[in-house]
Amino acid sequence: MTEDSAGAEMIPEEMIESETEQKSITRRDFFSSASTGVALGAGLLLSANPQGAWAAPTAKSGGSAGHAAIPPGWSNAFHPAATAPLYPPRGAPKAGEKIHEFDIEVGISVHEIVPGIKIHAFTYNGTYPGPEIRVPEGDWVLVNFTNKTSEFHTIHWHGIVLANEMDGVPNGTQWGTGPGETFKYLFRAQPAGTHFYHCHNMTNLHVQAGMFGALIIEPRDPKEDLVRKVFPYEREYTMLLSEVDTVMVEGQMERMMKEMGVMQKMNESPKLMKEMNGGMMGWFANKKAFLDSVKSGYIPPYVAPRAGRYPAPNFNFFMINGRSYPMTDEMMIRSGENIRVRLIGAGAMPHYMHLHGHDFWHVCQDGSPLQAPIRLNTVPVFPGTTTDIIIQGTNPGMWHFHDHSDIASTNNGIFPGGMMTMLMYEDAAQHGVKVPEIVQVSS
Amino acid sequence: MKLKNRFSFSATTLGMLLTSNGWAIQPQPVPVPEDSSVSPQINISGVGIATGSYGRRAGQSRPKSLIDYEDSTLQIGAAQSLYKGAIGSMGFGMLTLGNEGEPGNTPFFLSQAFLDYQGEKIEFLVGRSDNPTAHLVDFPTLRDDDLHTLNNPLNPLSNGTLAQDHRYSNVAAVTLNQGLKFFENVHAQQLVDSAGIQSSPGINSYGATFQYLSTPGMEAFSKFPSLGLGVEHLTSVGAASSGLYQIYGGGVMNLNESVTDRWDIRALDIVSVGSDLRSFSNARDTFEANSNTLSAALRYMHSPFGRAGYQLSLTAGYKNYFRVRSSRSAGFALTYVKRLGEGFDFVAQYQGQYRKASLSAAESGSLAFEQTGEVGFSFNWDATFNQHLSPRRTILNQQYQYVPN
Ligand SMILES: [Cu+2]
Repeated sequence: MTEDSAGAEMIPEEMIESETEQKSITRRDFFSSASTGVALGAGLLLSANPQGAWAAPTAKSGGSAGHAAIPPGWSNAFHPAATAPLYPPRGAPKAGEKIHEFDIEVGISVHEIVPGIKIHAFTYNGTYPGPEIRVPEGDWVLVNFTNKTSEFHTIHWHGIVLANEMDGVPNGTQWGTGPGETFKYLFRAQPAGTHFYHCHNMTNLHVQAGMFGALIIEPRDPKEDLVRKVFPYEREYTMLLSEVDTVMVEGQMERMMKEMGVMQKMNESPKLMKEMNGGMMGWFANKKAFLDSVKSGYIPPYVAPRAGRYPAPNFNFFMINGRSYPMTDEMMIRSGENIRVRLIGAGAMPHYMHLHGHDFWHVCQDGSPLQAPIRLNTVPVFPGTTTDIIIQGTNPGMWHFHDHSDIASTNNGIFPGGMMTMLMYEDAAQHGVKVPEIVQVSS
Repeated sequence: MKLKNRFSFSATTLGMLLTSNGWAIQPQPVPVPEDSSVSPQINISGVGIATGSYGRRAGQSRPKSLIDYEDSTLQIGAAQSLYKGAIGSMGFGMLTLGNEGEPGNTPFFLSQAFLDYQGEKIEFLVGRSDNPTAHLVDFPTLRDDDLHTLNNPLNPLSNGTLAQDHRYSNVAAVTLNQGLKFFENVHAQQLVDSAGIQSSPGINSYGATFQYLSTPGMEAFSKFPSLGLGVEHLTSVGAASSGLYQIYGGGVMNLNESVTDRWDIRALDIVSVGSDLRSFSNARDTFEANSNTLSAALRYMHSPFGRAGYQLSLTAGYKNYFRVRSSRSAGFALTYVKRLGEGFDFVAQYQGQYRKASLSAAESGSLAFEQTGEVGFSFNWDATFNQHLSPRRTILNQQYQYVPN
């Protein structure tokens, strides 16, 4: 872990601008001027856009949901090659290809879930969750990822078809990015749809501690977006669903800080380096080295009883975009309007998102359009999945939208709270809706 | 009045009420009921220590063997998150006293019964707890009473029977901190008056301490893991005295930087002035008379692979009285602790204390050289239930914002 930076070797130096110290996400878009790129391998380039084959309308809902005349074709016809990447995932930007550059820095911040509940968090650019990244399909994304903590971290680009070395798995596709180091992630944005990113080091702890964010890949031509074609919409909402055991995060972060503090001190001193050996961390050259250490007094940590060491998380806060009800942001809608909601299962628990007073259309799963939209009022969002739904403004009012597994509708075990927000009609009053003040608590 | 009416309803009326108003049988309606779903964090901890010992102690004419379980403790604590980021807690604990060879006599000493309120920068404690003067420097001996007259500010209201008289008291304290690193404690105490000095019980001591503690978890790498000093004014002591002042200071210093083979030294000096005593008539006088006490301990910790292995320490103390003749004292303890598993240790100690004639006459039944050897086990354990509070002095709280959970 002595190399200061790794990754993105395939990108010509002159194309990478010098690092900045900016806290908020910075974005620099530029077109590649490189005439030659070193391709690492030949990817599969599909000649035909698999989304090209949609046909036959099946829209079930009528009423006032003002979508345009149903265009020919939702059916995302089955295509056996459809999962192959549209662009070669390995390779470098070629002349004329656009590169979106972002600086992301991981640090320790204090995050407030609801007033009175603060936690120490590992944050990408200081926010919990990290900043939303949104790029058009086929463009390049260059992320300068700098680690300002004493732990190891990565960014895993969940759902992205990219070069293996850019996948962000520590000790798998890269060394974890260590304290003070920068890793450059370079990948082509594909496939289009709702995705996310998260740290892949000690994932259970680091994701609870805040290391996740949305990654939205827009279709190359927004007009070709099937969802938009069938359900024209202006407003959309991204909801990262996750949960946290605040006691576990606080305790384990502290424990990690101490262990890494000791490691760092030992790294700084040649004398202490001699005392340190893999055994302190449970690593041995081979079986013999391990057995020799046991003979000379090494006691493996797992010999002690398990209880109390790393107990399973006992989640006490359930969040939408890092906040629990009543601090969650509402979804705004007007009668006749369509809104798109991107639900992302960023945590470790499934959540069953239920909308009162409406059915909605489940249109995309894991980024890709379904064979046909499915009419639901409750949609499960499992860990690691993304679900896009279209809500149609058909029933004015102030409606609850929440995880119907109601343990997640609590804050510290107290109802109401948690993974809950409101669908708010801006024109509810005009339609004669009289809502008592109590349910407008979050407006 | 409402309550009374409710209970005087006849069965028929009550039945009627029940069908119309379910809540009507609640005996004590209050506008905002207590929230029964918020239960506190519970902590239970204990120290078991039992040794077989052989030696000649104060007052004994010949060496004796005995089985000693003194200082075995059981403590229970409850803590709760309060409004505005504060933490409230209580502690309750007992410890066993030395039976000194009397199997029928197994008394307990109430060591903890306190309430504590702490915010980020200030803490209030009231009740029975550690005497604030007693833990500025903790020495690596096995028990509270090991060399206690040489490494502890002493309580001149004690009759000398129990070392715990010097270690615990009724206390009201305010502690300020800066960054959970520097702590200033101001307190009033009601010291245990086992000698019956005070005509009526009351506050009898005031003091202040200052302490520095280095980054938690990184103690091996700080030159000085802890440093402190204190001053105590004891207002109501022997008739001959208008009040005592005890001034004390000390700390811990690492002698090398090592994880596996660590050496450290700790020292404490205590100056006690203000007494008119020029001779001793009993043990209590020896706690009051003007004196200087210096004690120090050298400790070696062997932690192969970064885990505790064994610890060997030598603690020594020296005391001289300013006005009393033939009263000097010196003592030592050689202590070995071998870790057998999590919190469970094999322990062995050899200690001795030499006292000059007038001191030994008052304090040790004229035994000039007291010495004992002991071997046994100790077990330190604790368990937390319903946890919702993390320790307060953490790296995260120190280096980032303070978060009270
Ligand atoms: Cu991480």
